[in-house]
Amino acid sequence: MPLDTSTYALALLRLDGRRWNELRRIHAQISTQAAADGSSYLEMGNTQVICTVTGPAEGRNTGAGRSGGKEGEANLEVEIGFAGFSGVDRKRRGKGDKRTAEMAHTLSTAFSSLILMHLYPHSTISIHINILSQDGSILAACINAATLALVDAGVPMTDYLVACTAASSPTTSTSAGSDDVSDPLLDLNAMEEQELPFLTLATVGGGEKITVLVMETRVRVERIEGMLAVGIEGCKRVKDILDGVVRGFGV
Amino acid sequence: MPRAAEISVNEREFILQGLKENIRLDGRPFDAFRSLELNFGDEHGVADVQLGKTRVIARVSAEVTAPFVDRKFDGIFNISTEFSPMASPAFEIGRPTEAENILSRILEKAIRRSGALDTESLCIIAGLKCFSLRADLHVLDHDGGLIDASCIAVIAALQHFRRPDVAVEGENATIFSIREREPIPLSILHHPICVTFSYYNAGGIMLVDANLAEEQVREGEVVITMNRHGEVCQIAKYGGVSVDALALLNCTSVALEKVKDITKFIQRRLEEDAKKRDVGGLIAELSAENAR
Repeated sequence: MPLDTSTYALALLRLDGRRWNELRRIHAQISTQAAADGSSYLEMGNTQVICTVTGPAEGRNTGAGRSGGKEGEANLEVEIGFAGFSGVDRKRRGKGDKRTAEMAHTLSTAFSSLILMHLYPHSTISIHINILSQDGSILAACINAATLALVDAGVPMTDYLVACTAASSPTTSTSAGSDDVSDPLLDLNAMEEQELPFLTLATVGGGEKITVLVMETRVRVERIEGMLAVGIEGCKRVKDILDGVVRGFGV
Repeated sequence: MPRAAEISVNEREFILQGLKENIRLDGRPFDAFRSLELNFGDEHGVADVQLGKTRVIARVSAEVTAPFVDRKFDGIFNISTEFSPMASPAFEIGRPTEAENILSRILEKAIRRSGALDTESLCIIAGLKCFSLRADLHVLDHDGGLIDASCIAVIAALQHFRRPDVAVEGENATIFSIREREPIPLSILHHPICVTFSYYNAGGIMLVDANLAEEQVREGEVVITMNRHGEVCQIAKYGGVSVDALALLNCTSVALEKVKDITKFIQRRLEEDAKKRDVGGLIAELSAENAR
């Protein structure tokens, strides 16, 4: 039986019954694959991501002087694959897809500044991510899963990199008459992502400073402040959840 | 694969030391663009942008095709980029570098996804015929700030472009050549402009429009795309150094100022170009009067 959502708007609830500042259920596991050096499985609501980390090891394309990254530093490779069954319609996203390439670029630059790359000259750390089910906040899920897998692999990092999404919706409060007021939302699902302007942000260790910020939709500049504030708050909570997963594994 | 020469240790130290003493290599203030030049070609829809030593040419062209099946009422608009080896020895034809991928993605988000061009106005007969617009971007010289320069070039070229006029009668569409009917400008809904900020000294120093040397030593960057109405079309910070949220908000207000200046500059150049092209209208052309 479908849920009766007709009263949700009156109670200021979202389509899936959450309040504005609620995260979806995050379930994560580490060390899921025996063969990889580090691996993780992460669910954020219906978004499911699996991630493996190999390395630090000798790079695959070991030509003359091409084994590592920059002088005296490790090289970080990121590969993202979308499973054919992950979306609503079965669409192949090839390797040449620019959106996927952009996501991989985001992960590799974000983690390069976090991992102590100078400890592993002439070597390659590779992150492979497979997206099993898409329901919004994909980039955020990839970042969180990669963090867990890197922790599992024992790659030295300065702190966790945690990410979540935040949006801004037209206000529901009746007291404010103007259009300038907007309500921020935390952690969007796919339907909300299609309707609302949103951004993905990642912070180091759930702190105040922003490492990754990606926004693709047009929005008034005044609304960004609220979105950032909610996003930073959400990252703090994601950090606690991921930390719980890692500590729980160690017990 | 050719690689660009990395900047030397001495040069890196020199630039960073200078920045700590509030001096930039070329003597600009931290929040200033390099000198911007914009020229239009003989044809409509060709824009040549020079931002300092960086030079980018954008060319817009149109042809008539069938629209996509799932988008019957929309025309087609594509942006394609080409980094020529002439601009930098690190570029190769047919093998896009990561920088090229990111540039075309950012332009796509900034101009196409933000709905700058009204694609519905490119439709001729729903489901049968539409204009397919294509913006080709050529990088001729690379001295940093490619994203900013490319965005200006594409936006200017789109504003300068004129598409042929069409008349529709039932299922038949007649497309008039430029000689038959005055071609019409595109309907552009807003003018997004990209501004790149570079961070140094663990996020303490922020530069606008870094040149190539400054780009090579930066610790992180954020590209903000805005229009002059104060709407942010796109933000891209793909990692790098962590920045305070307030500093990022400050960036958006700086970006807004720059965007207003640049939009005004493009408008002025367009008006100058229009004046140069205007021979005095049809009446002046048809006049049989001659000077006695």
